[in-house]
Amino acid sequence: MDDDLEIDEGTGRGRLIGAIAAGLGVVALLALMTIGLLNQERGNSIARAVSADERPLSPDLELPVLVGGGPIKEGESVRLSDLRGTPIVLNFWASWCVPCRTEAPVLERLWSRYQDRGLLVLGVDVQDLTGKAKEFDEEFGLTYPSVRDGDDSTMRDFEVTGVPETFVIDKQGRVAALRVGPVTSEEQLAEAIEAVL
Amino acid sequence: MRWLLLIVAALVLALPAAAMGVTVGEVAKEVKCPTCSTPLNVSEAPVALDMKEFIADRIAEGDSKQEIIDALVVEFGPSVLAVPPKEGFDLLAWLVPLGAVLMGLALIPFLVRSWRRRNRPVEAGVGVTSPDELERLERELRRRSAGK
Repeated sequence: MDDDLEIDEGTGRGRLIGAIAAGLGVVALLALMTIGLLNQERGNSIARAVSADERPLSPDLELPVLVGGGPIKEGESVRLSDLRGTPIVLNFWASWCVPCRTEAPVLERLWSRYQDRGLLVLGVDVQDLTGKAKEFDEEFGLTYPSVRDGDDSTMRDFEVTGVPETFVIDKQGRVAALRVGPVTSEEQLAEAIEAVL
Repeated sequence: MRWLLLIVAALVLALPAAAMGVTVGEVAKEVKCPTCSTPLNVSEAPVALDMKEFIADRIAEGDSKQEIIDALVVEFGPSVLAVPPKEGFDLLAWLVPLGAVLMGLALIPFLVRSWRRRNRPVEAGVGVTSPDELERLERELRRRSAGK
């Protein structure tokens, strides 16, 4: 009889542990699914909002200056939220990126054309070696500043899927336009820039 | 003798990486290509080629394997490492699989007991009988013994 009792207790304990393990498994699975859904939602929320003619608030960034230019000085760091009131063309690039080579002179011309009207062209060098990035800048004689995103954190915040990618940000810090792929002529961004000046 | 050993050790430590035989491949398999997240030694992505050139330059300058890896971490952050560091949030990458294995091991005794119990042969004649059945059985036995 005692033996029967022991067996019953053992079965109950085993079932309880099994139920707890199964419960933990289900909770972990649900957590993973939720995280996946949230990431998917976050993965293209800026692009979806811009395509729906909205102006989503731009993520902030705080990065060290790679090469100075205009009001941005080398050796400092740049925080986007400190630049409210300045319309910005924010361009994600890398020295190894072939389309970026086509785009750099176009961005330089846009910088020369709109600098006096208050526009800031700001490059964000990503997934790159510092030395190579500086060589690229010198090769094209770029005078607009660039910051360096070494660990891709800003690239992720801006949901950048590849380089080059360019954001036009208005004076209130909202994304007014987005171009995935290279800017191959000034006209491709001119209208969006005029709208935020 | 001790002094001799110390001098030899100092000389070995002072040797440049190239002289110690560190190769680009040895360093490359410790880090990842940041664009494709594959080990650098198997990646041919443009940035991976730049990184291999960087490693070769540092080897030529005499940097050790660890110094080169540290320099790449400065450039790209800790996520460039092929194996996550055993600290901070990355520690989870080590602890979660270990926890899962330990949990699985802890469950084994309970599962074994449960399976054994399920497969234990039932003794003949042992079973739960309801009072109605007992009464019917006794009636039947009485009837049979009376019939003898």
